Amino acid sequence: MQDVLVGASAVTKDFHVGKITVNALRGLDLDIHKGDFLAIVGPSGSGKTTLLNLIGALDTATGGKVEVFGQDLSGMSRRERAELRLRSLGFVFQAYNLVPVLTALENVEFVLELRGEDGGRRATAMSVLEDLGLGELADRRPNEMSGGQQQRVAVARAVAAKPRLVLADEPTANLDSENGESLLKMMRQLRDEHDMTFVFSTHDPLVVAYASRVVTIRDGKIVSDIRKNSGEEAPGEGVEVRRKGTEPPGDGTEVN
Amino acid sequence: MSTPIIAKFAVRTLGRNVRRTLLSVVGIGIGVAIAVFMTAFMRGSTQMRVRAIAESGFGHVKVVPAEWERSRDNDLRLVDWEAELAVVRATRGVKAAAPHARSTALLGFGTRVAGVEVLGVDPVAEAETSRLVRAVVEGRYLKDGDRDVAVVGRTVTDRLEVELDDDLLLTVVSKGGEMEYAMLRIVGIIETGSRDMDASICHVMLEDVERLTGRAGAGDISITLDDPLRMDTAVSRLRAVVSPEDDVLTWMVVVPAQGGDYKSDKGFMNILAGTVLVVVILGIAGAQLTAVLERRREFAVLIALGMKASQVVRLILLEAVVMAVMGAGVGLLFVWFPLHQTATKGIDFSTMMGGDLAMSGVLFDPIMYSVPGLWVLPYAFIIAFVSTLIAAIYPAVFALRTDPTSALSLREA
Ligand SMILES: Nc1ncnc2c1ncn2[C@@H]1O[C@H](COP(=O)(O)OP(=O)(O)O)[C@@H](O)[C@H]1O
Ligand SMILES: [Mg+2]
Repeated sequence: MQDVLVGASAVTKDFHVGKITVNALRGLDLDIHKGDFLAIVGPSGSGKTTLLNLIGALDTATGGKVEVFGQDLSGMSRRERAELRLRSLGFVFQAYNLVPVLTALENVEFVLELRGEDGGRRATAMSVLEDLGLGELADRRPNEMSGGQQQRVAVARAVAAKPRLVLADEPTANLDSENGESLLKMMRQLRDEHDMTFVFSTHDPLVVAYASRVVTIRDGKIVSDIRKNSGEEAPGEGVEVRRKGTEPPGDGTEVN
Repeated sequence: MSTPIIAKFAVRTLGRNVRRTLLSVVGIGIGVAIAVFMTAFMRGSTQMRVRAIAESGFGHVKVVPAEWERSRDNDLRLVDWEAELAVVRATRGVKAAAPHARSTALLGFGTRVAGVEVLGVDPVAEAETSRLVRAVVEGRYLKDGDRDVAVVGRTVTDRLEVELDDDLLLTVVSKGGEMEYAMLRIVGIIETGSRDMDASICHVMLEDVERLTGRAGAGDISITLDDPLRMDTAVSRLRAVVSPEDDVLTWMVVVPAQGGDYKSDKGFMNILAGTVLVVVILGIAGAQLTAVLERRREFAVLIALGMKASQVVRLILLEAVVMAVMGAGVGLLFVWFPLHQTATKGIDFSTMMGGDLAMSGVLFDPIMYSVPGLWVLPYAFIIAFVSTLIAAIYPAVFALRTDPTSALSLREA
């Protein structure tokens, strides 16, 4: 039996824009298991980001229940949710969102500082960067790095505190395929070596290709949930994945 | 231990928009400079006022008959002035004490008369405490052993058309209600620079006033203190040693016009400095708010990463503190020259006051100095800290309200 990290059941989320109510999520059920390398796909506006916001304890559901590590988020205060994010969750954003005035190393170190870890923070941050092969970027500020480099540092920041679950919203959307692929390899390695679980929202076939599980949502509901066989899961070296015109495997083809 | 990242974050953030930071720092600097200057100047003017009042014969504090505060009657006399003078002089904090006996009188010469307030003095004590003694321009001041002589103001001699060594006819009403006469020889003429003030000066020996009015003793003892700032302590100490029928009053009570002026000057200065600081605070709050708004995404990301409210506030306060330190430094730089000038050269108010430096019987100094000191340093920093911290409250609240979901979506980018 697999550990369930996130359990979402009958989740709804409404936004009120003026007099209009937008039903972004309409009764969504999803379990995320330990070790998942999960891609959430779906057309723009289908509710991917909204779902990540709920799982990431950044927002609260209108209806239904979201449990993260067995804790019901709806009963948690702002402070408790901040604590949960800090202790157990990592975030990677489409726009990288590194702190522009801090170097790569300082960006990573800052998360450790926010956690109140004392002593050896700098060394820990450095080893995280080095483990990910980013050692030579340590002293660069975000504006001195390419997008790909920034996003890899952002991943380093997300995983520095050893979170159990990393949420990434369209992490490769701003990257070319080469950078996208190296980012995915890095994250998959983290999952394999550090027992982390990754959830992506994405449009990117490359991410779908690397994913171990692909969930498709449309209009705030899950329309398919495909778990790949382990052999199928990772395209090996030299496997070509075309980004344009490639339908993400499983998208809309199978309904759970 | 290495510098916390949050401190680097704060400092470097200020470097992101150098122009805005500089403007804010200059704003704080101006506020600090104005507040420091006004305070230093207010100190100087207060010191000068208190000294002028004390040396114009009022003392810092004064022993008077208890009845005097209500009636202001010059005919009242102390219970036992010689004993009181002795204990007053022996009291800690008392620098000098001068007894006075007053009486309203007419001075006559030929067919001309002038009304004056005759002041009976102890010449030695008077020389220690009164600046009028130093304003003798012709002849000399009174001295021990004098009898039937007077030192009068220049306006008196002009009105009566008399000069040094002329004999004046002095008329007073005695205790019994009778007219008493005496001939007084003019031994000295005082010129204070104020014709009004000179018109009422007539100093004679205390014994002469006692004899003529038939009222024994002194009506008050003017006291100068070692430290006028500790006036209240001195008053309570003195009250404990003088006769219960006498009272000890501060200059603010003795010269209420000056007490009122002092309070309104101080109030005005405080309001002015306060207004300047409020404007500065609003300016900085505005600039900081803009800075926070520009960084909404950054705060959203940090809050998403789990930065706690207290840490967000700490970051913003740190930025404020760094600006405060720079602002205080700039303020001290700004204020240094005007402070130095006014402390060494002062500002000449004599022309502004129309050449007449006397008000309500107090002879002021023509030049006012600012009195800076080491207090300026902590004062500048405290003002800068307090105002920038106040200015940071609203922007901090704003930053805390940032919705962390905007970190993920590009919607609010
Ligand atoms: N904060 C919000 N306010 C109003 N509407 C929102 C908000 N966030 C999302 N929505 C709406 O909810 C729906 C789902 O949005 P989103 O989760 O961002 O989709 P996706 O990430 O799949 O593109 C969209 O119709 C979007 O307009
Ligand atoms: Mg989205």
